[in-house]
Amino acid sequence: MAESRQLCTFVVDGLLLGIDVRQVQEVFRSQEMTAVPLADPSVAGLLNLRGQIVTAIDLRTRLGLGPRPDGIDPMHVVIRTDDGAVSLLVDEIGDVIESGDDVLERPPETLVGGVRRMIQGVYKLAGRLLLVLDTETALTFDVVRG
Amino acid sequence: MRALIVDDSRAMRTMLGRMMAEFGFEILQAGHGKEALAVLEANGRPDVMLLDWNMPEMNGFELLVTVRGDARWSDLPIIMVTTETEMAQVAKAIEHGVNEYVMKPFTKDVLLSKLELLGLVAA
Amino acid sequence: MNEMDDVVREFLVESNEGLDQLDRDLVALEQDPGNRDLLARIFRCIHTVKGTCGFLGFSKLESVTHVGESLLALLRDGARRMNPDRATALLRLVDAVREILGHIEQSGEEGDGNYDALVATLTELQGPDAPAAAAPAEPEAEPEAPAKNMGDILIERGLVEPEQVAEAAEEQKKGDPRRIGEILVEKAHVPPHAIVEALESQTDAKPGSSVADSSVRVDVGLLDRLMNLVGELVLARNQIVQHPIVGQDGMLAATCQRLNLITTELQEGVMKTRMQPIGTIWSRFPRVVRDLSVTCKKQVRVEMEGKETELDRTIIEAIKDPLTHIVRNSVDHGIEKPADRVKAGKPAEGCLQMRAFHEGGQVNIEIIDDGGGINPVKIKAKAVQKGLLTQEQADRMSDREAVNLIFAPGFSTAEQVTNVSGRGVGMDVVRTNIERIGGTVDVTSVLGQGTTLRIKIPLTLAIVPALIVSAGSQRYAIPQVSLVELVRVDGDDIPRAIETIDGTPLYRLRGNLLPLVQLTHALRLVANRWAPPTDRPINIVVLQADGVTFGLVVDDVNDTQEIVVKPLGKHLKGLTGFAGATIMGDGRVALILDVFGIAQGAGVAGKVRDRSIPGESLQVADADQSVWRTLLLFDVGEGRRFAVPLSSVARLEEFPPTAVEIAEGREVVQYRGGIMPLGRVADVLGCADSRDPEANLAVVVHGAGRERVGLVVGRVHDIVEESVTYPPETAGRIVAVSTVIQGKVTDVLDVGALARSFGTLQTYGGHGG
Repeated sequence: MAESRQLCTFVVDGLLLGIDVRQVQEVFRSQEMTAVPLADPSVAGLLNLRGQIVTAIDLRTRLGLGPRPDGIDPMHVVIRTDDGAVSLLVDEIGDVIESGDDVLERPPETLVGGVRRMIQGVYKLAGRLLLVLDTETALTFDVVRG
Repeated sequence: MRALIVDDSRAMRTMLGRMMAEFGFEILQAGHGKEALAVLEANGRPDVMLLDWNMPEMNGFELLVTVRGDARWSDLPIIMVTTETEMAQVAKAIEHGVNEYVMKPFTKDVLLSKLELLGLVAA
Repeated sequence: MNEMDDVVREFLVESNEGLDQLDRDLVALEQDPGNRDLLARIFRCIHTVKGTCGFLGFSKLESVTHVGESLLALLRDGARRMNPDRATALLRLVDAVREILGHIEQSGEEGDGNYDALVATLTELQGPDAPAAAAPAEPEAEPEAPAKNMGDILIERGLVEPEQVAEAAEEQKKGDPRRIGEILVEKAHVPPHAIVEALESQTDAKPGSSVADSSVRVDVGLLDRLMNLVGELVLARNQIVQHPIVGQDGMLAATCQRLNLITTELQEGVMKTRMQPIGTIWSRFPRVVRDLSVTCKKQVRVEMEGKETELDRTIIEAIKDPLTHIVRNSVDHGIEKPADRVKAGKPAEGCLQMRAFHEGGQVNIEIIDDGGGINPVKIKAKAVQKGLLTQEQADRMSDREAVNLIFAPGFSTAEQVTNVSGRGVGMDVVRTNIERIGGTVDVTSVLGQGTTLRIKIPLTLAIVPALIVSAGSQRYAIPQVSLVELVRVDGDDIPRAIETIDGTPLYRLRGNLLPLVQLTHALRLVANRWAPPTDRPINIVVLQADGVTFGLVVDDVNDTQEIVVKPLGKHLKGLTGFAGATIMGDGRVALILDVFGIAQGAGVAGKVRDRSIPGESLQVADADQSVWRTLLLFDVGEGRRFAVPLSSVARLEEFPPTAVEIAEGREVVQYRGGIMPLGRVADVLGCADSRDPEANLAVVVHGAGRERVGLVVGRVHDIVEESVTYPPETAGRIVAVSTVIQGKVTDVLDVGALARSFGTLQTYGGHGG
C-alpha cells in the first residue's frame, strides 16, 4: 500500500517534477541575484530572502538540460534543507498534486543520465509522468568548478 | 652566549631560564643582587643580564647602579623584568642604564623581540 | 606540558614558604605598623606570587594578589596606615591565596571559589585613610568563605542533599560548563524558582555581586534572530546615513547621528550576549581523549585552564572541529605509549593541556602536550621527498619553520598509519578553517618534550569594516584588516608604471615590486590575465594577507562601510576566493573576498604559505635559465650601464647612508629583522664610485635568509624585456655577457657570481625573516 502524499509540482524544460509539499518553504517570481564567480555552473546566484542569504540552484543546469530560452522568467522554489534554505530555479510552477493510492515506480530507462540519477521515482498521472525529485542528490555536488 | 638571570623567585628563574635556553643561551642564575655580583666576578661578563626589580639583600636597582659603575660591566646589556606596578620606576632604570625592559607576564616572543632589539639574536 | 608542571611545583613550594612567613609578619606588623622591613618583605612575597602566576595562567590568583599588592605598596610607601581592617583583609588575602594554591596543588586548577568580595574589600581599603577607614562590614564570619555559594545556600534551605551538590560539582570538574544551579535543575533535584530565590539571597548578601550570578538563560535561537535584526538595523542605518536628504536637513542629520550611535551601542550589546565560554566545546574533550587513549593504548590526562574564556558563538562553532582534530592528533601522534614515556624518563601518563585566554582583543587557545615532539629533521626530509620544498630551501629553514610544515597541504607526519586521525592529513584543513574565521595557528615543538599549538582568533566576526569595490559590474567587499593602501595609476602612466614579467604584471611601489592581480581575471570573468584599460585610470587595492602583499586591480573603489558577515551555503563553502557574503544597503547580496584565497588562486602566494618558506614570494623564478627575459637596468654612479636578470632580484630597496653599519669588517644594514651584508657593485667591477656619499643607497636585494645580500648600485633606470642568451662558457663570471640595450652598451651581470664574490656573513645568520 502506498501512502498518499502531496507534491508541489513544477516544470523544467518540459519535464513535470515534484517534491514533497512539506519541504517547500515558499515560491516566488525571480528577483535580482548576485552571480558567484568560480562556483559550479548550476549555482545561479545568491539572493536576499528577508536578510537570509540563499543560494539559488538552476535545475536546468543541474539536471543537464538545455539553457532556459529567453522570455521564460524563472520561478524560485525555496526548500528547507539541513543546511538552511536553498532555492531551486524552475521554468514554471504547477499545481499541488495528491499522489493518491498510486505506487511510486522506478524511473523509466528512457530518462537520460543526469535526470535519472536525481529522481526518486515516478507517478503515472493521466497522460503524464510526474518525476519525484530526490532533493538530497540534486543538491549534492562538488562545490568547486576549478 | 650566556645570560645571567637575577630573580629571587626560583619559579621565575626556571621559567626565564627555559625561555632563554630555547633561544640558545647558556644560563647563569642569582637570587639577589649580591649573589649576582659574585656570579659576575666568578664567571666573567655574560652576554646579557635579566634583572628582577624587587629582591632581598640587594634589589635590582641597586645592582644596576653598581654594575654600571664598574668599568668591566658598564656595557653589559641589561633587560629589566618588571610588573605594571613598577612601571613608574622604569624611567629611572632606563636613566641608569637599563637597555630594555619587559613587563610580567610576557610571552616568549616578547622576550625574543627584546633580545633581537639588542642584537643578541638574529630575527 | 611536563616542563610547565615543574615550574608550577616550584611556584607552589616557594609560595607556600612565603605564606608561612607572611602570616607571622602580618601579625607582627599589627603590633609595629610602621616597620618598613616587615612591609617590604610582605609586599615582596605577594608581589612574587603575582608576578609568577601571570605566566602560569592562574587568573584568579593574579586578580586577588594584584589588589593585595596595590594595597601593600601604599602601606609600604607610607601613603596609607596599617589598621585592623586592613590587617584583617590582608590575612584573608593570605587565606585566599593559600586556598587557591591548595586547589592548584590538587587539581592543577584554581578551584571554583569566588573572591569578588575580597577583591572589592581590598580595593576599597586602598582609599584615603581617615573617613574610609570604616571598612564595609563583612557579611561572613569565616574568612575563607567570602561569598556563600549556590550549593551551600540550597543545602542550608534543605532543598537538596549535600551529595547532590557534590555530584553536580563533580560534573563541573569533568568539564560541564554549566553552573551548579543549572545542573541541579536539570537533574530535577530543585525547581528553577528555588535557584532564582537563592540567587537573590546571594546577590543581597554580597556588597559587589558578581556578574555571573545575576544572569538569565536565553534561547540561542532568539539571540541569533536578535543578531540578524541588529544586522538589518546596521544596514538600514547605513542606507539612511548615506541618503542625500540627510545632508540637507540639520535636524535629520542630528537624529541620524544619534541613530548611528545607538545602533553601534546596540550592536555591541547584542554581540556581548552572544558570547559563550569556550568550556561549552571543551567539555567534550575529556571524553574524546579518554576514548582515544584507550584505543591507542595510551594514558593521557587532560588539564584545562581558562574554560570561562568567552567567544562569539559563531566562532565557537567554527573552531569546534579544528580543535577536535588537534586534540585527536595530539593524543594519537604527540603523546607516546606509556612504555616509551617511561623509557624517556617521563611519567607513564601523558598530559594534554588546554589553555584559553584573552589577549589584545583576541582569544588565544593553546593545546600543549608533553609528548615526543616533532622532529624538524624528519619533517624537512619528508617535505623534500614530497616535493613541497627543495633541499636548498629545507637547509636554510629554521626548526620552527620546519615544524610548521605540518600545516602544508598534503603533509603527513605519522610513520605508521593509524585509524584515529588518518595519516596526519587534515592539519592543512585545520589551518584553512581557522584562517577562514580570521585566525592564525602556529606550532612550536621541543623534540622529546612536547608540542604546543597556538591558535589566535578574533572575539567576533559578525560585523567587520570593509572596503567595497566593483569588478565586472558586481560589488565585492574586502575586509579592512587586509587593506594596506589604495593606489591610482593614470591611464597615460600605465605602460611606464606597470611591467609585465613572465605574464605577471608588476607595479613599482616605492621601489618594491608589487605583483598585480586583476580581480576580474582572478574570478575568471575575463580570460586575459592582464588587460588594463588605456583610456582611464586603474585602481590598485594594495592588500596583505599572511605575509603576501599584492595589488588587486579593481574596476572601481566605492566606499568603506560596516558589513554584516553571513556565511555561504554549503554549495559555496569550498570556494577559496570568498569568505562569506553580506547584504548591501540596497538589499542586494555582495560577496566578501577571501584575500589570501585570491592571492593563492592568482599564483602570487606560494603553494606552501609564505611564512613557511621565507623570502620566496617576490622571486620570479627562472634564476638559472640561460635566456633572460626581463632585465633590471642600472648604473653604478658613472657612465656605464649594467643589467641583472629581474628573476634574481628579490626586492629593490633604498637605505639612508646612516643605516649602514659595520660588522665583520664589512658594510651591513638591518633588514627585515635580520642583518644583510652589502656589496658595492662599483668596487667589484673596478669602477669609480662617484655617487654623492650623502645620498640614499639604491640596493638590489638578492636571495633570502642567510644567503640574502644587498647589491649597492648607483641608480636604477628601468626594467626592460630583452632576450639575452647566456653563453654557457661564461658561467661563473661576473659579467656574463655584454649587449646593446636601449642603444647603449650594457654589461649583463650574473648576480649569483656577484653575490658569491662578496661572500656571506659568518656569525649573523638569522632565523629566516
